[in-house]
Amino acid sequence: MSPTSLPAHARRRPWAGVRSHQAILVREQDSQHSGSGCCGRLGECHTELGKAADFSHSRARMEQVGEIYRALAEAAPDLDLVVADPRNFVWLYPAIWRAARNNGLGVGATLRSMARAGAPIAVVVDGETLFSGRLPESRTVVNAVLDRVALRFDA
Amino acid sequence: MPAFLLIVITLVAFYLAYRFYSRYLAEKVYRLDPNFVTPANELRDGVDFVPTHKHVLLGHHFTSVAGAAPIVGPAIAVYWGWLPALTWVVLGTIFAAGVHDFGSIVVSARNRGQNIGTLSGKVVSARASTLFLLIIFFLLTLVNAVFGVVMAILFEANPGAVIPALIVIPIAVFIGQWAYRMGRSIIIPSIIGLLLLYIAIPIGQAYPIYVDGLAEAVGLSVRTTWIILIFAYTWIASRLPVWVLLQPRDYINGQQLIVALVVIFLGVLVGWDTVAAPAVNEVAPNSPHWFPYLFITVACGAISGFHSLVASGTTSKQLDKEPEARFVGYGGALGEGALALAAILACTAGLGAAGDWNAAYADFGAASGGALGHFVNGTGHFLSNLGIPATLGATFAAVVVITFAGTTMDTGVRLQRYILQEISELAGIKALAGRVNVLTTLAVLIPLGLALVPGGDSAGGKGFAFGRLWTLFGTTNQLTAGLALSIIGVWLLARNRNPLAALIPLVFLLFMTTWALILNLGDFFAKGDWLLLVMDAAIFVLAAWLAVEAFTAFNRERTNPSAATADR
Repeated sequence: MSPTSLPAHARRRPWAGVRSHQAILVREQDSQHSGSGCCGRLGECHTELGKAADFSHSRARMEQVGEIYRALAEAAPDLDLVVADPRNFVWLYPAIWRAARNNGLGVGATLRSMARAGAPIAVVVDGETLFSGRLPESRTVVNAVLDRVALRFDA
Repeated sequence: MPAFLLIVITLVAFYLAYRFYSRYLAEKVYRLDPNFVTPANELRDGVDFVPTHKHVLLGHHFTSVAGAAPIVGPAIAVYWGWLPALTWVVLGTIFAAGVHDFGSIVVSARNRGQNIGTLSGKVVSARASTLFLLIIFFLLTLVNAVFGVVMAILFEANPGAVIPALIVIPIAVFIGQWAYRMGRSIIIPSIIGLLLLYIAIPIGQAYPIYVDGLAEAVGLSVRTTWIILIFAYTWIASRLPVWVLLQPRDYINGQQLIVALVVIFLGVLVGWDTVAAPAVNEVAPNSPHWFPYLFITVACGAISGFHSLVASGTTSKQLDKEPEARFVGYGGALGEGALALAAILACTAGLGAAGDWNAAYADFGAASGGALGHFVNGTGHFLSNLGIPATLGATFAAVVVITFAGTTMDTGVRLQRYILQEISELAGIKALAGRVNVLTTLAVLIPLGLALVPGGDSAGGKGFAFGRLWTLFGTTNQLTAGLALSIIGVWLLARNRNPLAALIPLVFLLFMTTWALILNLGDFFAKGDWLLLVMDAAIFVLAAWLAVEAFTAFNRERTNPSAATADR
């Protein structure tokens, strides 16, 4: 995605130099986490063992998030971009809570946002979950993120 | 001694180790450079290479390395007394696991995120890659065998855990359909699933499931029957797509891990229990001596080679700034040490008075065969401090270990299948290479044979076999760690840095491992345990091979540093 396809306010990068906006791209790693990591880590093409594509569905999501990540990194280099696994409970949900509350979301909205963020794939901006479960076309996601950040900045 | 004091002493030791030793490693040994462009930044693609906040990365890393193994080893090792077990956990974590996990991330990051298998071929020697595969093959075989036995022991001793453990399967399958097929959020269903699991615990207690009738009908012992049922389940589970059962269950497991850690430590703090176990136990005659067996009984929790796979497989690719390897790698090792501490507390302070402890750990057979039961009962006691009936608490702990062990076996059998496929391809056995059902059957039958090894069910199910299987598992895990430490040591030597931080734990592990393997050889021969004897001999050859490879590589780098180990 080229920067010229971005909304005008996004191209202006009004938040440049301000690292207070955060986008969390939630997606599962293409590997097993708890309960097996110590003694049974599954191999994929990017780890040690195995050629079987057991986690191809997770891999496809990783690739899609990668595309969004690269587009956002290019369009908004000052945006705090985080990629997190939804199974990383200890970090993810407190982070969303903090961001949402800091950005004025009510308790109910914050909890709903946290619930929606806990999906195999999701996009969270400043504590607010914009997409969950399935993502539309990457360009739509990127524009939505940039719109939301610009809106918050303007506000 | 109050159990609380053990927590304080351990955490203070961990704090000091992080504050001083890990800083020494970071500044003087690994010489972390804040200006070094990590692979996550250099190759940043948002897919595998993603600069990640250190707190996020620690969460990923710790969730990946934590499992059931740091519970089993310490639960057996307290047989020699709480002092040797805790000392090894603390010193092993600080001077071995910390160096190993931290170093694996650094060396991998300095080599564009290459994994340990590739690095062993590049840094040590080309043959080391083959050695790595063989060690992993034996490690997985033993992992699957011991966890099959672990589950069978728990089902036999806690028939109330059967229903909750079974309930997890349809819950996970439903969550899998909900999240992966319907594209919905997974966290709320998984929390509901966890609550349903907890609701199933009293139901399971009210309706315990016994397989005595089935065992009698087929003429097998109860434990053997459970082992066969568990391996049959594993065959089916490992043939399912991962999103059907394995992945959704991962969410429940992750939540269980957090809940279990919190309630154990909270139970200790609230109950102010005292440690009933002796500091150093006068063990029964003919028991394995703590030296060297302690050091291979506790692998995970003191040092685990599998961590190097996680450290180099994903963590190093997401490291934002090189100095953060200290927080993630060393910090993750300390977290695993804390898990082992929880197991030690449950088995020393949670079993009641000294008399109860002495009965539970009467000999090594009781200690190893009953280790999981001791952990489960100890955790039940800690939960009773929080107002939860001890029997319910014990079933809760059993379910935690069973679901973790089930996941471990599921992944372990899949991995073993891949390795068998690669071996059959290398050997040119094309008829075997593409036959997934046959390969899965082989991947199940090999560990099943070990789990049912003659003598395994001796002495009323409390024979030595589980303990011996477990120590064999420990030796292979330590060999994997030894390989990673060799890589780290050679890498350091090639840069004219002091390699002692890696070399000392490497020599220590190799010495303890080979010594224990030699002792085992004599023991297995004397008892006529031929299967274990062959297994032990093969692992001994791998240990000797590793020692030769490590020595050769160190000597080569000392006399003539090669470009082969060059990185950025």
